[in-house]
Amino acid sequence: MTGRGRAGTRAEMAAASRAGVGPGKRSGVSSIRLANGLTVILREMRQAPVVSVWCWYRVGSRDERPGVTGISHWVEHMNFKGTRTISKQDVTRLIEMAGGTWNGYTWLDVTTYLETVQSGALEAMLRLEASRMTDCLYSKTEVERERTVVISELQGGENDPRTYLEKEVSGTALQAHPYRWPTIGYLSDLQAITREDLYAHYRRYYVPNNAILVVAGDFEARQALRLVRRHFGRLSRGGDPPQVRTVEPRQEGERRLTLRRPSGAAYLDLAFHAPAAADPDFAVLLVLDGILAGGPTVNAWAGHGGRGPSKSSRLYRALIEGSLASDVSTSVLPTRHPYLYRIAATARQGVDPGRIEAAVGGEIDRLARGEITPRDLDRSRNQFLARHALESESTTDAAHQLGFFETVASHTLFLDLPRRVAAVRAEDVTRLARARLREDGRTVGVLLPAGPLEAATAGSPGGPPR
Amino acid sequence: MRVAPMRTPPKGAARQPARGAWASPPVRRVALDNGLIVIARQNRAAKSIAIRLVLEAGSAFDPPGKEGTAALAADLLDRGAGSLTAEEIADYFDYLGVAYECGARRDTLEVGLRLLSPHLPGVLERLRILVAEPTFPEEELRRQKGQALTSIAERDQDTAAVAEIALAEALFPAGHPYRSPRLGTRGSIERIECGDLVAFHRDRIGPRGAVISLAGDLDPARGIELVARLFGSWAGAPAARVSIAAPPAPGREIIVVRPIEGKTQADIGLAFPGLRRLSPDLPAALVFNNILGEFALGGRLGKAIRDRAGLAYYVYSRFTAGMGAGPFAVRAGVAPDGVRKAIDLMRKTIGQFRRRGVTSAEMADSKSALAASIPRRMETNPESASVLADAEFYGQGIDYPEKLPGLIREVARAQAEEAAARYLTLGSHVLVVAGPAIDKETLR
Repeated sequence: MTGRGRAGTRAEMAAASRAGVGPGKRSGVSSIRLANGLTVILREMRQAPVVSVWCWYRVGSRDERPGVTGISHWVEHMNFKGTRTISKQDVTRLIEMAGGTWNGYTWLDVTTYLETVQSGALEAMLRLEASRMTDCLYSKTEVERERTVVISELQGGENDPRTYLEKEVSGTALQAHPYRWPTIGYLSDLQAITREDLYAHYRRYYVPNNAILVVAGDFEARQALRLVRRHFGRLSRGGDPPQVRTVEPRQEGERRLTLRRPSGAAYLDLAFHAPAAADPDFAVLLVLDGILAGGPTVNAWAGHGGRGPSKSSRLYRALIEGSLASDVSTSVLPTRHPYLYRIAATARQGVDPGRIEAAVGGEIDRLARGEITPRDLDRSRNQFLARHALESESTTDAAHQLGFFETVASHTLFLDLPRRVAAVRAEDVTRLARARLREDGRTVGVLLPAGPLEAATAGSPGGPPR
Repeated sequence: MRVAPMRTPPKGAARQPARGAWASPPVRRVALDNGLIVIARQNRAAKSIAIRLVLEAGSAFDPPGKEGTAALAADLLDRGAGSLTAEEIADYFDYLGVAYECGARRDTLEVGLRLLSPHLPGVLERLRILVAEPTFPEEELRRQKGQALTSIAERDQDTAAVAEIALAEALFPAGHPYRSPRLGTRGSIERIECGDLVAFHRDRIGPRGAVISLAGDLDPARGIELVARLFGSWAGAPAARVSIAAPPAPGREIIVVRPIEGKTQADIGLAFPGLRRLSPDLPAALVFNNILGEFALGGRLGKAIRDRAGLAYYVYSRFTAGMGAGPFAVRAGVAPDGVRKAIDLMRKTIGQFRRRGVTSAEMADSKSALAASIPRRMETNPESASVLADAEFYGQGIDYPEKLPGLIREVARAQAEEAAARYLTLGSHVLVVAGPAIDKETLR
């Protein structure tokens, strides 16, 4: 794994990485690895008297198997329920008393916990995260209470037809790699997972050598590092967790699925196989996405759920101004292994989703033919560069971005992305469109309204709005 | 009609920095002759600026029968203005990487911009053209109405949105500005024509009562000068602040069930008439609401419904205090077989809260949490531009964010309990369930 060596037993505190060239030198980011393998990334930011602490673990739904899908996310929930030294009530109370906000999330590659608090509370947050890494309780009663909460979260998600379609498309586009099942898990697994399953998963992955601690905000780095060592330095290194070995085989042939569910509109979801974050083509995909949809984001926290198109982008012109769709969004997400590039659209009432698919195909063909002007390229790169800066302004976002990229690749990759994006040429975009956005490598999902709305919204191409 | 009090410090007066280890950056505020209030706050941490323009032109001012007008006007401001076409406006913002958003809330129509600081003059120039001279082209309106109709169809299948709308319809009487859905209805959207948008713009979108705030990498005095030069000649409506009446007490438990086919989870809403932004009860309400439905994992409601009973992923209470009193609502998403139990727990928790009051430990925790959170809530440029514009718009004054921690700390236990008893009028409330079909009689 990039940015994570095996020489973690060395006790020295050499600065393992101080961001490379260009933006890195001005970034004020420092990174070290403790003797127990914990990666620590610090960034001083003095804009407000707050600090943001994020503790990341390299574990997500990719580390599961059928039968225990959803377990990483459920473990995340359990880790808010008290430790041997911090009561359940105090896990959140300590943060809020410090004017703080807290949260956590689990996704394909990562599980993370965050606190953004008044800067005076930094040490209390480090104590909390160190305790969460090793001392969580997992009582049988709490496991059972949380089972129905997690199932409620799943059901709430399934209420939304777009979420449902997205889940089905992921599971169709990916057939071998564990990215294919939803992070929330399957209902049957959530009903069957035991306390022992949860605790074993926690013990296997919550070890310092599988974790990254990021602190950004109003502190002095040397002092912060002393506090980090005080609370995390005593934790023992664990066994190295197993790695995902499966590589998704190349898709040879288009895949299609059509769902019918009660919904207010018809939806289209297109998925293509995307490069992993560390792949040099990731920056090319960002520029390609900028030309198609505008304003690409690599902040999975701030930009969760994809981005709407900017109004000068090709998909906005073709789909929204073309009166085919009421909404279109795309997503390029940084992942450890190759995942998916998605284009999702909501059909305007009376419009057959097939017409949207054809229009999107037309725009992809233009890229593959090399129809890219210098202004298209400049606009896309400018949008990315602005967003890269704007979306890491807050201590919370800055810490998120450094930690997220360190978990899936390396935090220096995040700092280096502007340089990579600035170097992308039109021919790179054309090459990528031809290689990645081909018809026989795509998955096309359509969700049509079932029930009484069916006749009105499906299959009457170009008809007037009802 | 009533004009809300506007604090007007001397022109260009800089606010005193806060005492303590960390001084909030200086903020300047100037009232232009045309009524526009300009606020500027410096933050040199990054080479970026956020702009927030707040106009008294929210959906509360939709003409009767044409609900959704404010939302459509917001969507169309950048689709043609002055001599600029929609394409030219979009290309200008996108080429520079400027993030533009515009939308209608209940009271306000707001424009937000985020940009790298060298682009400030050009962006402000465009913003002035957008708000002062939108052209509302026929073709753009036709297309936008189509998008709105699709959004409305989606909304009507969304349990949370349907619950929200049903609560407002049950809580506010016919004709009340807070009663209708912000996006409108199929019928109201179909009735809106270009002339309606032109009239709405003429009557509501003007400098008087409006606030523009800038935060970020700028010299506040020069930022204000720039705004004064570009927006000084902008003239027009609205004439005076409108008074929005408080809704009558429901007088009983009004139960509304909105079945939506094919849903796996129901959204529950239990709501009371709330309070206005300028209500003297505001600090006490912030405190008791935090105890009831915010602190930690959703306050006492979260403890009862999520933590102990495992019934819901989300449960919280929230109130919307604007020009008028919005709802004070308790919300939860629950599986169909847990609806009855969750409602019982809501009633029981609120009942106990009223009868037994709050503990001194709860008071201390919630006051500390609320008071200490203010610097964090203003950390970024978009956040501070928004918080300052909001405090100014609602007549609280730009020093309100700095005064708020003190006001919260002064709330006595008895005050919080009295306020809770005044607003949590159990037995005179609205209860809504939207989602899988459920027999209304089982909910009593």
